[in-house]
Amino acid sequence: MQVKRITAVAVTVLLAVAACGSPSSKGGGDNGSDGPANTTQTKVMDAAAKGPAADVEGFKKGGTATILSDVTPSTFDPTDTYYVDGFQIQKLYFRALTQYRLDGPDHKPVLVPDLAEDLGTVSDDKLKWTFKLKQGIKYSDGSPVKAEDFAYSIKRSFASDIFTDGPTYQRQYFKGADKYKGPWASGDNFEGVETPDDHTLVINLSKPFPDMPFFGAFTLFTPIPKAKDTKDAYQSKPLATGPYMVGSYNPGAELKLVKNPNWDPNTDAVRHQYLDGYHFRFGLDTLKIQRQILSSTGPDASSLTYSNIDATLVPELNQGNKKDQLIQGPTPCDRMVPMDTRKIPLEVRKAIAAAYPYDTERKVAGWTSLAEPPASTYMSPSVPGWENYELPGLNGKGDGDPVKAKQMLKDAGKENFELSWYYSNDAKIATQRSQVRQQALEKAGFKVKAIGVPTAKIREVTGDQNAPVNMFKSPVGWCSDWPSGSSWAPVLFRSDAIKLGNSVGQLEDKALDAEIDKVNNMSPEEALKTKAWINLDKKIMQDYLPALPVYQSRSAFLVGTNIGHPINDPTQGMPEFTSLFLKQP
Amino acid sequence: MSIGSPGSTVGVEDHPASAEPERAKGVAHGKSPTRIAMDRLRKDKVAIVCASIVLFFVLIAIFAPLLAKLEGGNIADFNPKLIDEFGFPTIGVTPDHWFGVEPRTGRDNFARWVFGARPSLQVAFTATVFGTVVGVVMGLMAGFLGGWVDRVISWVIDFVLSLPYLLFAIALVPIVESWRGGSMNLTPEQQSSTRFFVLIFVLSFFGWAGLARIIRGEVLSLREREFVLAAKAIGVSTPRILFRELLPNLVAPIVISASLALPAYVTAEAGLSFLGVGLIEPTPSWGQTIATATNWFQADPIYLWLPVGAITILVLSLALLGDSIRDAFDPKTRR
Repeated sequence: MQVKRITAVAVTVLLAVAACGSPSSKGGGDNGSDGPANTTQTKVMDAAAKGPAADVEGFKKGGTATILSDVTPSTFDPTDTYYVDGFQIQKLYFRALTQYRLDGPDHKPVLVPDLAEDLGTVSDDKLKWTFKLKQGIKYSDGSPVKAEDFAYSIKRSFASDIFTDGPTYQRQYFKGADKYKGPWASGDNFEGVETPDDHTLVINLSKPFPDMPFFGAFTLFTPIPKAKDTKDAYQSKPLATGPYMVGSYNPGAELKLVKNPNWDPNTDAVRHQYLDGYHFRFGLDTLKIQRQILSSTGPDASSLTYSNIDATLVPELNQGNKKDQLIQGPTPCDRMVPMDTRKIPLEVRKAIAAAYPYDTERKVAGWTSLAEPPASTYMSPSVPGWENYELPGLNGKGDGDPVKAKQMLKDAGKENFELSWYYSNDAKIATQRSQVRQQALEKAGFKVKAIGVPTAKIREVTGDQNAPVNMFKSPVGWCSDWPSGSSWAPVLFRSDAIKLGNSVGQLEDKALDAEIDKVNNMSPEEALKTKAWINLDKKIMQDYLPALPVYQSRSAFLVGTNIGHPINDPTQGMPEFTSLFLKQP
Repeated sequence: MSIGSPGSTVGVEDHPASAEPERAKGVAHGKSPTRIAMDRLRKDKVAIVCASIVLFFVLIAIFAPLLAKLEGGNIADFNPKLIDEFGFPTIGVTPDHWFGVEPRTGRDNFARWVFGARPSLQVAFTATVFGTVVGVVMGLMAGFLGGWVDRVISWVIDFVLSLPYLLFAIALVPIVESWRGGSMNLTPEQQSSTRFFVLIFVLSFFGWAGLARIIRGEVLSLREREFVLAAKAIGVSTPRILFRELLPNLVAPIVISASLALPAYVTAEAGLSFLGVGLIEPTPSWGQTIATATNWFQADPIYLWLPVGAITILVLSLALLGDSIRDAFDPKTRR
């Protein structure tokens, strides 16, 4: 499993948005995450979920919400989308096989069927997934949705020359993926999908893919009728299946959504149609839109944004009840300090942990408890089954103990051990963070070699798993593609992660591989019940320490005062658009 | 623009405007043009005030380590305890931190401010000296020797003047880094010093051509004059004519050009650093501080005003001083 996607956007968003203000930080063992986050979740999937979706309290119908954004989604093509903003916006007008319902007061994600009747059934050899499809679904133009439309959009996703940025799981797992190059180059014959009748979709795999139902929530599984497909122009006038459809789309500037008259709420367990429409505006000035939304005068009261609040606006939150305009919640992302376990021995890694200047780096980097609270786990709290644990000294807090670290180094006989990393030398904050680390680690008796690289080249050099440095190889953070433990340890800490370029700490341990596989082969419910994923997470940190946990990224975005039911979607770290309403339409 | 005080008229009356031979007579009275200019300058209050301000900044730059030690600050020490969770400094002006601390990093503002004066002045003075020397030599040679030497030098001048200097500044850094063994093998300090020398080189390289052209023009008119012809006739060597006969007559344009180039280089250094192609961390520089401080302006105005004020005052003083010098050296000035 490869989870390359959000990294790009998330990192941009995270770095661009020096986030912001916090409620008074709670002391003690609680690592700054929200209180009820530890409530036990018993379900990650609900195959029996039926529409219509339960109404939110106090909803009103009518009005248009304006979403102001500084970032511009690169594409709205359902096949090419792999960024959180694109997913979340398209959730309003595209339905896929499955979807997430946000349950309970803390909006835990539960996977439910969307256009499928169930969450799919897998054959005994685990190589064939069968999805029964809902009948009577119509496109926004009134034409019926057919099973072959699903098959067609899957085939479409293999045209990697046209859709270069989309997800790649289908090219890794689906049968015949190595030969098939999409409907335009290879025709309609693809052994990876079959449609035995008009309401059944069969997906054939070349190797087992237990997370297939989660993957089914990606917009690439939305049906597209072959006759109406216009390749890369499809995104400007697509056929909608969700409660809204594209009214007008002006690339790079704005997207207007209007009600889809052919959407049947009784078939949809997740979405609502409270608003008359949505107006997205892109490429605006971050600070300006956040000020607009914060002051909420006139039409700005019905607007919201999805970038995290700018640090300079935090003091203004304390005026009146502006705090209510800040919506917070977990995101699927977190950040670590990876250490190459092949080059740095465990005792030295422990000494680094003892010397690491978390607090100084946090302040210099502009990380706050609001958007980047300290973490003590590798897995993100957005993953079902996550529970907080804290190993001594590994909580992303404190400023290091150089004396203790020096003693640890001495005991290990590794004095003057050389640590090395790359940093962007034309990015001021990156340079300062490197200086902070260097000063602290040198004080603890390490030798430090910090190598400045132009920002344009930094991804290339840190992306090399065999680069001649021993710290901070990418990924230094992770965003999971679906809320499941299976998109964490198996992707980051297995030996084969080195080859896929995802490895954190470059672990190569057969025993650990076996242990990860054991948990990965459990059913999701069983893994949840036995807390298998979080226990594995803890064991890896305790026994291997491939990385230091640094922070969990959290949403902290501003909404106007007239927006009703603004909540964070932990699966994307974005506002949940489908349940918004206007208090005074 | 008339800046000098009306009283500064010593020696002017004897010299009607643009009457060179008569001015030569004036020199015979016992006062060289330089001497006259200095006398005028001394009576010019603006010039004196500006010179003192420039001297003040020069002293700050020279004694930066001492001043920082006196205060107890350090340019590299991060003080996370002095800033709150959102990066805002929790202290104002204290006996330990005379100008407070930087937002986000908590580094000492005073130490970074006094050290920030160094690169500005170092770059400006070095580039001015280099640009002036090269410009004068090139201009003298082109103007006096003429022929193919003139054609080649004039071509080089035109070539240099036509190069886009901002692009050049950006493009040169990676090239020089690769000469020094590639950016991967350099420490942050070495990378920063590379930037420093590249900056000096770029500014000097683009600074000499303008002056050379002016000097060349002056020499072209001077070389046909009687005293030069006479010197040639009695067999004085070319270098001697260039530096003994011609150069003293060129003091005015040289001093003027240099005094106007200085403030331009100070702004250029700050501007390039602001844009991110000049100096980089960990070298403190006013331009870099301004770039960071603009984001914090509303919350922490003093952080921005320190370098902005310093650069404004320094550049204004240098410019006014240059103006006064030009007035003092220009025989055409009437007060």
